[in-house]
Amino acid sequence: MNDLIIEAYGSLLLIRLSGEVDLSWSGRVRDAIIDALEQRSVGVDLSAVSYIDSSGIAALVEGLQTARDGERRFVLVATSPAVLAVLELARLDRVFTLLPDLAALEAG
Amino acid sequence: MSIATASLLARAATGDEARAFALLAELSEALAVSLDLRQTLPLALQRIVDYMQVEAASLFLLDEQTDELECKLCVGPVELGGARLARGQGVVWRSVIEKAVLVVADAAADPRVYRGLDAQTGFVTRSLISAPLTTAKGVIGAIELANKRSGEAFDDTDAGILRLLAAPTALAISNARMAAELVEQQRLKREFDLARRLQKLLLPKRRRAGFPLLALNLPAHEISGDFYDYFDLPDGRIGFVIGDVAGKGLDAALLMTRAASLLRWAGKDGIAPGEWLRRANEELCQTTHGGRFVCAAVGYYDRSNGLVQMAGAGFPPALLYQSGIYSEYRSEGPPLGIVVGQEFHETRLRLGGGSLYFFSDGVTDVRSNGGRLGQEGARALIERHSAAPPEVRLRSIFSELRQLRLVDDTTLLLLEETQPNAAVLLLRQVFPAEPERLRGMRAELRAVLERAGVAADLRDRLVLAVDEACCNIIRHAYAGNRGDIVLSLQRDGDVLEFELRDDAPGVDPSRVTPRDLAECRAGGLGVNFIDTLMDGWRLQPCAGGVGNVLWMWKRVAAPVEELP
Repeated sequence: MNDLIIEAYGSLLLIRLSGEVDLSWSGRVRDAIIDALEQRSVGVDLSAVSYIDSSGIAALVEGLQTARDGERRFVLVATSPAVLAVLELARLDRVFTLLPDLAALEAG
Repeated sequence: MSIATASLLARAATGDEARAFALLAELSEALAVSLDLRQTLPLALQRIVDYMQVEAASLFLLDEQTDELECKLCVGPVELGGARLARGQGVVWRSVIEKAVLVVADAAADPRVYRGLDAQTGFVTRSLISAPLTTAKGVIGAIELANKRSGEAFDDTDAGILRLLAAPTALAISNARMAAELVEQQRLKREFDLARRLQKLLLPKRRRAGFPLLALNLPAHEISGDFYDYFDLPDGRIGFVIGDVAGKGLDAALLMTRAASLLRWAGKDGIAPGEWLRRANEELCQTTHGGRFVCAAVGYYDRSNGLVQMAGAGFPPALLYQSGIYSEYRSEGPPLGIVVGQEFHETRLRLGGGSLYFFSDGVTDVRSNGGRLGQEGARALIERHSAAPPEVRLRSIFSELRQLRLVDDTTLLLLEETQPNAAVLLLRQVFPAEPERLRGMRAELRAVLERAGVAADLRDRLVLAVDEACCNIIRHAYAGNRGDIVLSLQRDGDVLEFELRDDAPGVDPSRVTPRDLAECRAGGLGVNFIDTLMDGWRLQPCAGGVGNVLWMWKRVAAPVEELP
């Protein structure tokens, strides 16, 4: 059910997440994000994420901080309503760069 | 001032005995320097010896317990310290009894002289003089002088001078004693304060609204002989205790602490109430003496079927108020701590929508219109406030009692379901505290909330809050150890109540606080989510250091249908 696919997308690595990002999985998501950021800028596609908890949010925050330190881009793409609700709850919706879709990613 | 003293002073003032005044002033000053008699009295006595030119001086104080005079201090060739004289022995005692300065010119020929001390010490008393130490509270002892160094006998002039010198000495002793009493009173007060604080710690914490037991305690004095307790059993029943120790003061308070812990210990196993009291009685009999005893009522309440099982030991009758009718349930057993081998009868009743009251006898013993309030008065008191919700009702009853005169500690325990058709259990699930189990928990909780008619966005938020709470239990409470989480959800009116129990080591609730959201960092968000999403929450470690209970609640509007 949970799935994590990494594909090259232009100058970025796109991490496509699907399923529920909770405590059982957020550690691996975090590692994948940090690994990818060592190579290049990263976009995380959240359109198929139906649930995210604070540990999943923490993985995204860590990605943002790592990217900033390494002067790379870190963007969230096609954030699902479920994820957006939690980001808003944590008041992080304005901290992340949220792109509506892949087209916007290309444009950026 | 007597004529003798006046003429003595007149004489002394004109002669070289003007030194007597100087000594008197000096002595008064020296004794006023400190309240420590061990420091001031020896110097004072030595000055008297020097001035009066005598071989020996001793200071005796009255021991009221044994009715003896004890030598507290002596100056001279032999040591008399600690010597005791039974009432009436010798000239010292006579001067105390007669409250007069006595002079013995020729000790060998005077039948009033007690020769026992000379015989023990080898000192030969030729002439002596004894002056009582007089205070506002009466005679507290005497000063005795023996043998003028000149070899002359003591005379009336010596008697007059010693009388003058005895006055500041007596005053100094009396002041020091009062100071010591004051210090002792302050020490006792500190101990009482400590005992009171310890006692308060023994009483259980007030539970959240909806818990069926409520108790109040109003001590008549600084510390209480009453106690109450309630606790959860593993099988879901609630145990309760109310007790009253005969007597007041520190002794009763100490017995109360012992009885309270013993009754809690005995009830934790969930044994039948009669057996519970029997065990406590056997234990208390071994250690309770001096006419002390303990009255108590104990029992269990099962919320699932409304059954109350209880037993009493000399406790005032329990009062059940149900649909306008009062029923009394008397204690069948005798008080605890008197006779071993007693049996205690169990009473069962259905609480239904009723209210079960337990009063310590402080309630019925309250003075009202010249008589005791009694059971009838207690009923009338309940009746006046019966319309109020439990908490308000108990407080109203107490404030009325406070206006009457309390003669005893007063404690009230109330067992009552908050609503006739109380909370509905919507979900109860037990799962291992592992991250992989959270998905299943969420799915089930989501389905239950949906069936309960909770709107979709609220439903998802509540699921998130519960999930975050579980994450914290897994990560911080169990911290890598295995164990279970028990999740219950009930609906009480329009309030959803979530309860999460674990068996992890006790967590300090004060360390669980939401973080500042303005700070952007990973981690620590979970508590913040719970704080934001729920109307309230409370974390409480279980007694004994193992296990925690987290309650979270959220008021929801009337069921809202999800939009298609």
